[in-house]
Amino acid sequence: MIVLNTPWRMYMDFQLTEEQQFLRQTVREFAEKELAPKAKDVDESAQIPDSTWQKMAAAGLMGLPFAEEYGGAGVDAISAALAVEEIARACGSTALSYAAHVGLGSSPIAMFGTEEQKQRFLRPAASGEYLAAFGLTEPHAGSDAGSTRTSARREGDEWVLNGSKMWITNAGVAGHIIATAVTDKSKGKRGISAIIIPQGTPGMEFGKPEHKMGLRGSQTYAITFDNVRVPAENLLGKEGEGFVQFLKVLDGGRISIGAMAIGLGVAAMEASIAYAREREAFGKPIGAYQSISNMVADMATELDAARLLVLRAAWLKDQGKPFTQEAAMAKLFASEASERACRNAIQIYGGYGYSSEFPVERYYRDTRLLTIGEGTSEILRMVISRGLLGELA
Amino acid sequence: MHAVVCVKQVPEQNSVKINSDTTIDASGITPIINLFDEYAIEEALQWAEKNDGKVTVISLGPDDATDSLKKALAMGANEAILINDDSLGQVGAQGAAKVVAAAIQKLGDVNIVFCGKQSTDDETGQFGPALARFLGWPQLTYVFKVHELTDSQIVVDRALEDTLETVEASLPVVITAVKDLNEPRYPSLLKIRKVSKQPIPTWTLSDLGLSADSLGGTINIAKRTPPPPRPSGEILSGDVQTQVKELVQKLIESQIL
Ligand SMILES: Cc1cc2nc3c(=O)[nH]c(=O)nc-3n(C[C@H](O)[C@H](O)[C@H](O)COP(=O)(O)OP(=O)(O)OC[C@H]3O[C@@H](n4cnc5c(N)ncnc54)[C@H](O)[C@@H]3O)c2cc1C
Repeated sequence: MIVLNTPWRMYMDFQLTEEQQFLRQTVREFAEKELAPKAKDVDESAQIPDSTWQKMAAAGLMGLPFAEEYGGAGVDAISAALAVEEIARACGSTALSYAAHVGLGSSPIAMFGTEEQKQRFLRPAASGEYLAAFGLTEPHAGSDAGSTRTSARREGDEWVLNGSKMWITNAGVAGHIIATAVTDKSKGKRGISAIIIPQGTPGMEFGKPEHKMGLRGSQTYAITFDNVRVPAENLLGKEGEGFVQFLKVLDGGRISIGAMAIGLGVAAMEASIAYAREREAFGKPIGAYQSISNMVADMATELDAARLLVLRAAWLKDQGKPFTQEAAMAKLFASEASERACRNAIQIYGGYGYSSEFPVERYYRDTRLLTIGEGTSEILRMVISRGLLGELA
Repeated sequence: MHAVVCVKQVPEQNSVKINSDTTIDASGITPIINLFDEYAIEEALQWAEKNDGKVTVISLGPDDATDSLKKALAMGANEAILINDDSLGQVGAQGAAKVVAAAIQKLGDVNIVFCGKQSTDDETGQFGPALARFLGWPQLTYVFKVHELTDSQIVVDRALEDTLETVEASLPVVITAVKDLNEPRYPSLLKIRKVSKQPIPTWTLSDLGLSADSLGGTINIAKRTPPPPRPSGEILSGDVQTQVKELVQKLIESQIL
């Protein structure tokens, strides 16, 4: 049973370090100048230009939390979360592909990889030579990722993969994909392993990028594996550890998604404030009416609370303390608060909010994913309540 | 090559608000690196990288000007120096140039100085030329492109009002940069970590062998008048035909057409 008032959970120090503030400001300036002006086009063309990734690599963003020796910038989890928030405030699509690259496609190698795997796969990903992807979800295994059907059998010095994946961010454009696969059917969840597949490996095919409601610039693919052969040394960690590995990966990923939700929510709030001051109805700016100003107050309060939750989870991670519950709470609350903020931003804009002339409808479409990806709200409530109630039945 | 870049921390332009009594409302001011100085930093970094040289950034300003120096360090400068002294509060461009010239002389091995062509707060445009005079070095102002830079010589294009002038000079030299000389890089997130811990030395007037009264007169702002509000535009009425006719007439009258 998780006890929420153990000493470290009571810790309070709200001051960001000088380094964290500096980093946040730098990413903000970068995002405002380089990402925000392209966000509409990224959404409409369903593509993030290569030049964006090149610039992000040059600034040191692509490997932000990883060690310098592997091409990263070695920043803490708090800084990494602040960076995702700033990127999302400017462009949701870029934020999702970025968060998936860092949190899902690269971090498992930093966490569980051998030295050789880090050199071969983490280094190019962290230095921004290529994007990385993580394939867990399958057509028949989403929330219930333990029921993975993709298989990998050992033949001599190789793993041979067969099966399919669904909804994999960056997959078609990634330099490597980490895929989960069943290596021993008799062991259930303990028979799942993670295997690194370099792009271009014969037998690995991608569908067309999915048509999505939002985050359109972030490309999402179905993958099929037809006798895909990779060397035995591409196994990540030990055989059978895949399930436990991805639970840990998702804990960190949820901090990112929470931060992304805040960024989109803040963008919606800022747009709302500007509009509520300017737009007049019945002779007054609409912000003078309580129905409108209350929405702005709620946005600010909820997003601030969300940020505290997200940064606390990141802080626990930095301290090397358990943070599964806190990351789940942070992602759950932040994604739902962001959705409310973006929804109400459209309300404040009235008819114009429903038009693609203004960005608020995009914020809403973009944030809508965040109560689904990396653990649906329902699954997160389950994770949190199980920590309190234990497993009943 | 040892390049010095002079960096001034200025208020971001649209963050400056004037109170009703015409004093400046300091509360909302966001301090940034003077726009033109960013180009100067980038140009110095590019040439130092090519020539295996070194870049030192110097700022004369209050303690919080270290924020701008740290940004320059995170962009890639090697060293930073803050010049701060109680008696420098009201110093004008000439006095500031004299102080910075003393600091450059104290460094000893500097052979090129990059400045912005002017600062976006005081807009005097005097600092670079005055600095060159105090150093006794040639000055190349309004530099729009640097073609060549070695330890002994430099070739640049100067953007003058209606001509582009290509100039050669021998080092040491003072350069002032115009906008769009290059595309300034973002601070590296990797360097931010190191820079946050890097101490920045502060030099005072006595460190430079100067005294407050050797800096010449100070400039005080006697009065500040906000620009008059823009007159509201004129809206033409009538059908499109008459509107266009009237518009053309007005454009001719005001000699735009
Ligand atoms: C844009 C996008 C990008 C994605 N990127 C990636 C990626 O990079 N890598 C990757 O592996 N996956 C990725 N996904 C997949 C994503 O993680 C899954 O969609 C998500 O986990 C939900 O799985 P599902 O879609 O199969 O829904 P299901 O699991 O089928 O869920 C359907 C509904 O049932 C509910 N439900 C399921 N089980 C329970 C339960 N036990 N109790 C209560 N309710 C339950 C869910 O909450 C949901 O409301 C991405 C998805 C999208 C849309």
